[in-house]
Amino acid sequence: MTGRGPAPVPYDSELEPGLAFFLDLVEQIPLRAETILANREHFATIIQPMSTQVGELPVEWEDRVIPGPEGAPDVAITIVRPAGSAGGAPRPAPGVLGIHGGGYVLGTRFFGTGELIDLALRYGTVGIAVEYRLAPEHPAPAQVEDCYAALEWFAANAVELGIDPDRIIVSGASAGGGLAAAVSLVARDRGGPALAGQLLNTPMIDDRNDTVSAHQYDGIGAWDRNNNDTGWNAMLGADRGTDRVSPHTAPARAADLGGLPPAFIEVGSAEVFRDEATDYALRIWAAGGRAELHVWSGAYHGFSGFSPDAIVSHAAISARDSWLRRVFAG
Amino acid sequence: MTDAVLRPVPFDPEIAPIIEAMATEPQPAMTEETLPLMRGSDTAFPAADAALVARERGIEAEERRIPGPAGAPELELTLFRPVEHSAAASVPAIVNIHGGGMIVGHRSWEHARIADLVEELGVVGVNVEYRLAPEHPFPAGVDDNYTAVAWVAAHAAELGVDASRIVVMGGSAGGGFSAAVALMARDRGGPALAGQLLLCPMLDNTNTSVASRQYDGIGTWQREANLFAWRCVLGEELAGSPEAPAYAAPSRADDLSGLPPAFIEVGAAEMFRDEDVDYASRIWATGGQAELHVWQGGFHGFDMYAPEAEITKAALATRVSWLRRILGLAAPMGDNE
Repeated sequence: MTGRGPAPVPYDSELEPGLAFFLDLVEQIPLRAETILANREHFATIIQPMSTQVGELPVEWEDRVIPGPEGAPDVAITIVRPAGSAGGAPRPAPGVLGIHGGGYVLGTRFFGTGELIDLALRYGTVGIAVEYRLAPEHPAPAQVEDCYAALEWFAANAVELGIDPDRIIVSGASAGGGLAAAVSLVARDRGGPALAGQLLNTPMIDDRNDTVSAHQYDGIGAWDRNNNDTGWNAMLGADRGTDRVSPHTAPARAADLGGLPPAFIEVGSAEVFRDEATDYALRIWAAGGRAELHVWSGAYHGFSGFSPDAIVSHAAISARDSWLRRVFAG
Repeated sequence: MTDAVLRPVPFDPEIAPIIEAMATEPQPAMTEETLPLMRGSDTAFPAADAALVARERGIEAEERRIPGPAGAPELELTLFRPVEHSAAASVPAIVNIHGGGMIVGHRSWEHARIADLVEELGVVGVNVEYRLAPEHPFPAGVDDNYTAVAWVAAHAAELGVDASRIVVMGGSAGGGFSAAVALMARDRGGPALAGQLLLCPMLDNTNTSVASRQYDGIGTWQREANLFAWRCVLGEELAGSPEAPAYAAPSRADDLSGLPPAFIEVGAAEMFRDEDVDYASRIWATGGQAELHVWQGGFHGFDMYAPEAEITKAALATRVSWLRRILGLAAPMGDNE
């Protein structure tokens, strides 16, 4: 394993086949400004349609178009719920606002619906997947504003959707984790819907890309430092790295992390986002806030999805489940 | 930020009543005068009988005495083994170092913790007795613990242990000692440890982190007790000093490279949170292996006080997962299905 930066943390050997699979399937084309479109075309071939994702599972889904942010286009969403629950359950269900990953430049909402299907099956949740606008065609803050508009709609339509407005969480992985953190900040700052939790799976939150871990995974691994540069450049252009970057775009920039919903932060020890995720947790705690942090040994970006049978992935999924039980019990 | 506005992270609602109940019967402050009372107290963690603990789990216990460090008394150990375990076997060993701020406690407080792992993983468990401060300040405690770990490695064949799969573990002071033993083993070319399992480890003598100030007057291990403990171990002059030796306070180590894989667990609502996160971060920065778990709203030693709580069950399962990975033990069939 050789990169351009300081010695990296080695991978858990049980994860290496999954990492190789990830690189072969997802990162065939190094993500650079000039390859964003080619990567989108490739993503379109690997994201399965809902009918395939759901198959015979007892889950139903519905596409909707909801109002976008002021002055912006409408937003497409997909509602995912347990089959037969549309008429309302005895107790309103927990709600999940699911935000897909893809470095702010790739993917569709169907890149993140797998989690919503899983949570509907195991926790009876009603989820919505948001089709937010991508960079660079739509630079920041289009992404977070679309997601926040979806949160407002979700909370305002809780009764129709059969969800408990006191048990809405926002969840996402990678750029989706960054947007989940950003939506939590926006909701706090605008006095918006109260969130019961923010599930930040390997969140992309710091445009500066300058931590030790960001340098350790320069040229190696899944979602390396260079891919990360591409995503942030597309989002921020010339503003990147300056004090003009809003914390609603790069949550690591927030001076105040008090008053946020409980956070679950999960990351691998062998990936770019390790240090920014750890620092985010530390700063929430320093403000007296609630956060749980899990940094999995030798784990690459997205390990639990691409190496689901590894012991460490089982443990990661179990820890996430434990937090969800605690949050949904509240 | 000043202390006046420093708000602590709230406790997990399921376990908060334990703290509230303790607050209704405040313990006397830890001082030289109250130390004998603290040591005699068995209300929180009653002294357990090793034979009984073993019998309850279908394993065996044996008391041993081994040579202490040069010029020091012998050490007492309790060995826990699977039944019919023989010297012909070659299983991993886990050496447990008990907690208690390096000033109180006894291995019998933690027989259950190590015996549970012997039962679940089929390993040999070793529970170590070491000398306490202030009667025996640094380096007595860490020397005793290092001697015990080295003895297990040297007697691996007799014990039916695979010398390449020895893990050192402990909670609180025991976590600090475990980290120190790992540093000493690296520096002295001692036993090649397979891992260090550090549970809410007591690593930093300076008491300067945010967390160390958030839990001033609340929780199961409070700032004043910690300050007192470090004075007992290091003396007044070195107690809070950045010049303290790394084998006393592992956070003082300049170099955290070349260490065995670490598992670091701590509660989000306790004073060791930040020093433990920092230790993990510094290991990663060297390219070393560490796994870090900070449980939301967990207070110091939450697993011991609230064994049935959701976060305790999750934390215990996570520890076992790491031990299986480090020790090459397959997950049982049906695990996590």
